[in-house]
Amino acid sequence: MRRFSLPPQILRLVLLTLVIVGTYLVARMLLVPQSFGTYGWYRGAALEEIASRTPVFAGKKACAECHADIQHKLDNSEHKTLSCEACHGANREHALNHDVVPAKVPGSLCLRCHEANPSRPAWFKQIVVKNHYGDKCTDCHLPHQPSQSP
Amino acid sequence: MKTQFNRRGALARLGAVLAGVLALPVARTAKAAVQNFFASSGAPRGYDPTGHKWLICLDATKCIGCGLCAEACKKENDVPQGPYYRTWVERYIITKPKPGSAETHGETLVDSPAGGMHGFPECPVPADQIEQSFFVPKLCNLCEHPPCVQVCPVGATFKAPDGTVLVDKNYCIGCAFCVQACPYGARFLSPVTHTAEKCTLCYHRTTRGLKPACVEICPAEARIFGDLKNLQPDDPLRKFYESNRTQVLKPHLGTGPRVLYAGLDEEVR
Repeated sequence: MRRFSLPPQILRLVLLTLVIVGTYLVARMLLVPQSFGTYGWYRGAALEEIASRTPVFAGKKACAECHADIQHKLDNSEHKTLSCEACHGANREHALNHDVVPAKVPGSLCLRCHEANPSRPAWFKQIVVKNHYGDKCTDCHLPHQPSQSP
Repeated sequence: MKTQFNRRGALARLGAVLAGVLALPVARTAKAAVQNFFASSGAPRGYDPTGHKWLICLDATKCIGCGLCAEACKKENDVPQGPYYRTWVERYIITKPKPGSAETHGETLVDSPAGGMHGFPECPVPADQIEQSFFVPKLCNLCEHPPCVQVCPVGATFKAPDGTVLVDKNYCIGCAFCVQACPYGARFLSPVTHTAEKCTLCYHRTTRGLKPACVEICPAEARIFGDLKNLQPDDPLRKFYESNRTQVLKPHLGTGPRVLYAGLDEEVR
């Protein structure tokens, strides 16, 4: 009895298919990132990479650790919703290392919020500069307790 | 059929097996090398993205248009100079209707000079002609079904389990499909990296237990941020949506934003 053997063209097709599938599997193993599919159809390690940035703003909590006295004044004033860094600028360097001297507060910050503007909500305190007394806000208002005078 | 063993065949097979075993570590190293070529990692640990669900609430009746949020965002995230903003403030001016026009209001003017970063210039409409005017802070709407993620051809943008929509900079090819797909205009192509960029909800801050920079800096408490999976009894988030009637932008698109607004006019889109 003659031994059964595949026709050569079929054998070649099978071999070719195996080579193509094999190449695909090898390429897939090499190219698909390790963390792909950890959370979904994307690279899980990307989350960590995006999170690895260094923050710039320290946050009010960090300021209050040392400046509790000022925080207390602020909390009992109209400015209680203000974050320290809104006026004093980003100061994480100073919060981490107290030897780093924070930058000076630039003047004319008050008007950024308090200059009269018809788009501002009516409940918000606004002034028309030329109708208001004096030229320096801090002559009459303490920034941490705006309703009190120095 | 008779199986034939000979020395040559056996040696060849043994050689093939040996080569295969030797090739395994080589393949592993090659794999690592190829992957490192596309991405390198190293970041803070201890944050479980499945344990949080972030939500942002914006109160348009509280926004005073100081633009500190837009400025802080630029600083915090090193957003490229020029007209590129991850968060910005829009000014809406709705004029009074013309006498006899039988309309409730006239024209709606919207502007956002430099994203509102340096405040707003004087109102271009005289005060007596303004019917209503207000500020609306904008940012990525943290969609539940983000169109930007659907259109990305390389899977470089995705919705993390904590609800943040992020861009994998190392895999983004800069095709800008997502920029076109976002109905809120929250994305742009960075002129520096030539990849898509957007609000990450300050992912590097939230993963460290800090608030996003815009929320931290807002002097009027117009932005409220919190974690729906870990709500405190006195959470400002809870207080916000219990005491306000909220809405989202473009609800008809079915994107399911996780950015809630209070006090919006119908003119705001």
